[in-house]
Amino acid sequence: MTAVAPDPILEGIDLVKRFGGGGLLASPTIVHAVDSVSLSIRRGETFAIVGESGCGKSTLGRLLLRLIEPTAGDIRYEGRSILSLDPKEMRQLRRELQIIFQDPFASLNPRMTVGDIIGEPIWLHGLAKGSERRERIAELLRTVGLLPAHVDRYPHEFSGGQRQRIGVARALAGEPKLIIGDEPVSALDVSIQAQIINLLEDLKERFGLTLVIIAHDLAVIRHMSDRVAVMYLGEIVEFSTTDELFDNPLHPYTQALLTAIPVPSPVNRSPKPLLQGDVPSPTAPPSGCRFHTRCPHARPICKEQHPSLETAGDGRKVACHFWREIQNAGASALSASPQSAALAKRMALYTSWRERQDQVTNPSRK
Amino acid sequence: MTDSVATATAADVIDMAAQRQSPLLQVENLSIRFDGAPLGINVVDNVSFSVAKGKTLCIVGESGCGKSVTALSLMGLLPTPPARIVGGTANFGGRDLFSLSERERADMRGNQTAMIFQEPMTSLNPAFTVGDQIIEGILRHRRISKAEAKERALEMLRRVRIPAPEKRMRAYPHEMSGGMRQRIMIAMALANEPQLLIADEPTTALDVTIQAQIISLIRRLQDESGMAMILITHDLGVVAEVADEVVVMYAGRIVEAGSVDAIFEDPQHPYTIGLMGSVPSLGRRQGRLATIRGTVPSAEMMPKGCRFMPRCPFADERCVNDAPPLAELEPGHWARCWYAPLELHRGGIV
Repeated sequence: MTAVAPDPILEGIDLVKRFGGGGLLASPTIVHAVDSVSLSIRRGETFAIVGESGCGKSTLGRLLLRLIEPTAGDIRYEGRSILSLDPKEMRQLRRELQIIFQDPFASLNPRMTVGDIIGEPIWLHGLAKGSERRERIAELLRTVGLLPAHVDRYPHEFSGGQRQRIGVARALAGEPKLIIGDEPVSALDVSIQAQIINLLEDLKERFGLTLVIIAHDLAVIRHMSDRVAVMYLGEIVEFSTTDELFDNPLHPYTQALLTAIPVPSPVNRSPKPLLQGDVPSPTAPPSGCRFHTRCPHARPICKEQHPSLETAGDGRKVACHFWREIQNAGASALSASPQSAALAKRMALYTSWRERQDQVTNPSRK
Repeated sequence: MTDSVATATAADVIDMAAQRQSPLLQVENLSIRFDGAPLGINVVDNVSFSVAKGKTLCIVGESGCGKSVTALSLMGLLPTPPARIVGGTANFGGRDLFSLSERERADMRGNQTAMIFQEPMTSLNPAFTVGDQIIEGILRHRRISKAEAKERALEMLRRVRIPAPEKRMRAYPHEMSGGMRQRIMIAMALANEPQLLIADEPTTALDVTIQAQIISLIRRLQDESGMAMILITHDLGVVAEVADEVVVMYAGRIVEAGSVDAIFEDPQHPYTIGLMGSVPSLGRRQGRLATIRGTVPSAEMMPKGCRFMPRCPFADERCVNDAPPLAELEPGHWARCWYAPLELHRGGIV
């Protein structure tokens, strides 16, 4: 949460990705997955991309690592375009740009031992050999809170949370500078989610990483990230520092997203204004502003004219014709209801005993 | 003015008391066992709870805590083998659900009791239109004509706010979005006006704006019909929004139970507190998340004392050796911990 000098590490410039509509055998319907998206990720920050299913956030994540080729636009890593790199150069670069996937059950090869899974990038990039490599694998396992003894086991022998730790260890093996987490905790149980969130934050601190978190869970994003891009149907509709976005959401879609979150406190149970209808299909995005079919503030111009992503002061951007009026229309900011005295007291007690629990037993297993 | 308010309050209290005396469903000492599990290790262990007419009970817990197995047993949908009810009763309107015949259970399912699941696509038949599926459920339990059943199905689609219901009657499940399919499931579940609805993670697979729509829909339908609901979820936000009463389960046992206010404002069990600390706040960041160490023990590794002991920061020898009872700390608020309230037993300097 410290102030980061604007030093871009990874940039997407006017990125476009369409699926389908290609040759004779391809599907005739074109999916507009990502449309004219530009963003700049700063070194050392945690950048979040948030949106609902089908908004293009995962596609954008894959484009940024060039795991899929963009239809148009450019991707720059440390100032130079990575689209012109040949496969060999790209492989070299992958060491520095890593990804963690949502499903820890699907993203690890079931026939490889944990040691092989983590050791592969080390071998591939020629980082270490023989006993040095084994020592490195053991070190990585300890780093992510597993035991060096786990090295000969297979993924199915581990729980979901442990598998996600294996995925994290593998991502770290190549000594990356940037890690993209594509819904890294959403398949996990609540208590395990918190463990992985803390692990990612510790690793970021320890290795000076840049994190890009792709998620639909706004509470996770508020907790982890410095800046946020909100996506809707392939476009960025709002762009802001995290605290400002949550304190004063500008785009009506962001406002609706924040209103829809169930707040874990039974104190204020008032009926909320809810967004109606479903997200339209990305094969036929609505004309004008893509959100106009669900927007409570839509006017005729919204159907006709596409709003540009305009600057809304202090590094914020919003794509809405009427964000100034809507802002004054009194859309309430999200307020976390305060903890009760009893909960606060016991939470403090829990936290201090929890710290002691870590100190008393093996300190590497958090 | 003041008088009428006071009278209403008094009447409410009497009403609540009456409901507490005769709940719609009363589960007592339910134990379920999986074949092959170590001796004495039940996947659901001595679980008791009740739900009154018009009220919502939330069962909260993580994977493997036994919440879904409990729900399936109430519906008579427990896969036997491997799962078996080894003890307990479930009194529903004067009858024990567990001693009914298969045929009686089938007559009850989708009629007096109904259930909706997390993933509506797997609960709908892809080969039939949604209209046919709703009509089939109505005709199974009611002696009415097909035309009347169709009218009833249409009315249900309107009640769950499906746009263009006549057209949607002829649609197949795959032609609908996840949110629409969940609405269809709800229409189907409520078509025969059940007295009890069991909803197992009904919004977990849905996006947050759609989740909010479905929750508000379920609450409205419940207000209209006065049915009781058991909602099973891992999401504390959802619990806070809909629950009247809450049961927190861990490794097959109830670790805490009480009114929604008691659970959120005065949580007693270390697991409940740890769970709340694990959820990131929506307010400004307040440092690292409090976590619960480790993972749920497997049946083979189940501790003989308190099942939460290996993960609990407060545990000591007593917790290793003796399982604590579910003790009533305040009227209607129960917790299974030797050291609750924690500030009394664990409040000293660490």
